[in-house]
Amino acid sequence: MWELVARSLDASAIFLLAAVGELVNQRAGVLNVGLEGLMLFGGTAAFILTQTTGSFPLGFVGALTIGGLLGGAHGFFSITLRGDQVVSGMGLWILSFGLTTFLGSPYTGPLGLGRIPSVLGLSPFFLLGVALVATTWLVLFRTGLGLAIRSAGENPAAAEASGIPVVAIRYLCVAFGGVLAGLAGATYTLSYNPVWTYNFLMGWGFVSLALVFFSMWNPWILLAGASLFGVMWQLSLSPELVLPGVLSRYVWRAVPFAITIPILVLISTSWFRTRWGLAKPEALGRPYVKG
Amino acid sequence: MRLGRYEVSLEPRPDPPTLYTILTAVAAILLALVLSSVLFLSAETTLLGAYRTVFSYAFFNPHGLLATVQRSIYLLFCTYAFLVPLRAGLWNIGLPGQVFAGGLGAFAVPFILGRGPQAVLAPWMLIGLMVAAAAAAGAAVGGIAGILRARLQVNEILVTMMLNSILFWLVAYMIKEGGPFMGETAEGESFSLPAPLYAPLLGGVPFTALLVLGAAVFLDVLFAKTALGYRIRALGENPAAARYGGINPAALSLLVFLLGGAFAGVAGYHTFAAIPGIYKIPGNYGFYGDLSFYGIISALIARRSALGAVPIAVLFGGLSLGARFAQGALRLPFGVDYALLGLLMMTFVASHVLYSFRLTWRRIPSEALQPVPTELPEG
Repeated sequence: MWELVARSLDASAIFLLAAVGELVNQRAGVLNVGLEGLMLFGGTAAFILTQTTGSFPLGFVGALTIGGLLGGAHGFFSITLRGDQVVSGMGLWILSFGLTTFLGSPYTGPLGLGRIPSVLGLSPFFLLGVALVATTWLVLFRTGLGLAIRSAGENPAAAEASGIPVVAIRYLCVAFGGVLAGLAGATYTLSYNPVWTYNFLMGWGFVSLALVFFSMWNPWILLAGASLFGVMWQLSLSPELVLPGVLSRYVWRAVPFAITIPILVLISTSWFRTRWGLAKPEALGRPYVKG
Repeated sequence: MRLGRYEVSLEPRPDPPTLYTILTAVAAILLALVLSSVLFLSAETTLLGAYRTVFSYAFFNPHGLLATVQRSIYLLFCTYAFLVPLRAGLWNIGLPGQVFAGGLGAFAVPFILGRGPQAVLAPWMLIGLMVAAAAAAGAAVGGIAGILRARLQVNEILVTMMLNSILFWLVAYMIKEGGPFMGETAEGESFSLPAPLYAPLLGGVPFTALLVLGAAVFLDVLFAKTALGYRIRALGENPAAARYGGINPAALSLLVFLLGGAFAGVAGYHTFAAIPGIYKIPGNYGFYGDLSFYGIISALIARRSALGAVPIAVLFGGLSLGARFAQGALRLPFGVDYALLGLLMMTFVASHVLYSFRLTWRRIPSEALQPVPTELPEG
């Protein structure tokens, strides 16, 4: 039983790391729908680097770097060029999907190195994720920097007028989001499931993106959502633990995705919006034009 | 930004002329091809030889050319499935899911109505029903995203992406491990269509070619000449103004997704039930889902024109096939066709910047330049 819980939390860690980064860049007003692509690239870079050098730290550094760079590229397009953030995000996703399939395929197969040490069967990444949630909450809601980030996402013009460097803040947050997406990808390929196959994520990044919307941009709710989805994900992989012999295993694999849709519907109802809708960053997805 | 006496800035380009649109599209594709030369570096041949292998297989080899045409039809249906919602400002990235739904819908017809000599209907009626069922299944899946967008403003990117995963596993359930559509002998793929249900061929090309060309003309007329098309465009370009002008965004959001989903459904029919040599849902059906993303890029590069997407889809169809052929012939690493997809997307985004912005510079009048103080102020 504990094994299942530990494994679920390992899965949660990946959702959590990617989603915390996305939460921060959305709080600053930048939407990155290419999250899955950044995770794919980070995970693939980490896998290749670690397998060729035998060093886990190097793999993680590579993943963080590539994530940060891709985040920065998204920032350049959406902040400096004020382009459509969906175009750029989708572009990054398809770019990463295509290129990682090509770059990673010679490395298809298991990593072939030892496992990253774990505490009672739980990898350190979930704890790292929880620490990040706490830090993010503290920074966002208890510091001047957090106020600057939130105001850049709510009303950038007013923020600029009160002396906040909106462009710099947004770049910082997008790069941070990219770095964490890279880390999430590396956590997948180096710890959770150290086997490279093409398009290994198959939707994890999009689920993480949905989790940010579910969280109402609050890190603690995000933690709860990511934990829940981690458990659900693990159960969908081994449904025989709960309901042996009911439905094909393929149908179970679809369940986490199928559950996402009703939740998306729920948070979009007018009842929910009038109650909680204010949580959404006002300027999310809108480029900031200096007046 | 100030450079010497000049103020340099990027300004949005209001409405670029058609020639400019075509030029940026060509530039994006050429740039992707130049970048992709890295992929074709091989010990077996020179770079030019590699390109020659790709293009001669795709466009000059009789067998390859036929395959290119068949793949182009598939990509064009996918292109239109993406293009129609895009005109309303919505992103239908649910092409793989809708294609899978179309495949399931098409195969449900012979599954239910009988596929042997005991079938009650004539083969041509069954084929017609298969196309209709594929379109309906694709539209139903697209319609889920459409209705949620229309009624509750649910983000269509997330919903379509979730549906992709759901349909992917649903197909696995249907065709593998004793699923309803599993073939009699082979595990992991669906039953094969009986010969009378093969799609009629015109010179080796399935009749779906006519459907897709009809769709191209239909879409260009729809968007250029009809009130409905105008409303969809208005919604895409300025939703607030469209609503003020009495346009019903909810109904249109649903409509574009139904229509887009139907196109993707027919793409599923075409690829699983009409291409000679396949006639079943194969175990690697996921690959066709991935290919559908070429449709996204060709719709984005073609921008407004459905007919304009035809040469682009043919080129992409040929490139993806030729690249796969060259991969085997020249022993290149796996995934050249995927890498090309990524590169095309990247050059599209770059060309999008060129397309929608222009670099302007303006001389700053000398009066506006502050003279540099040469003497210290008094005191």
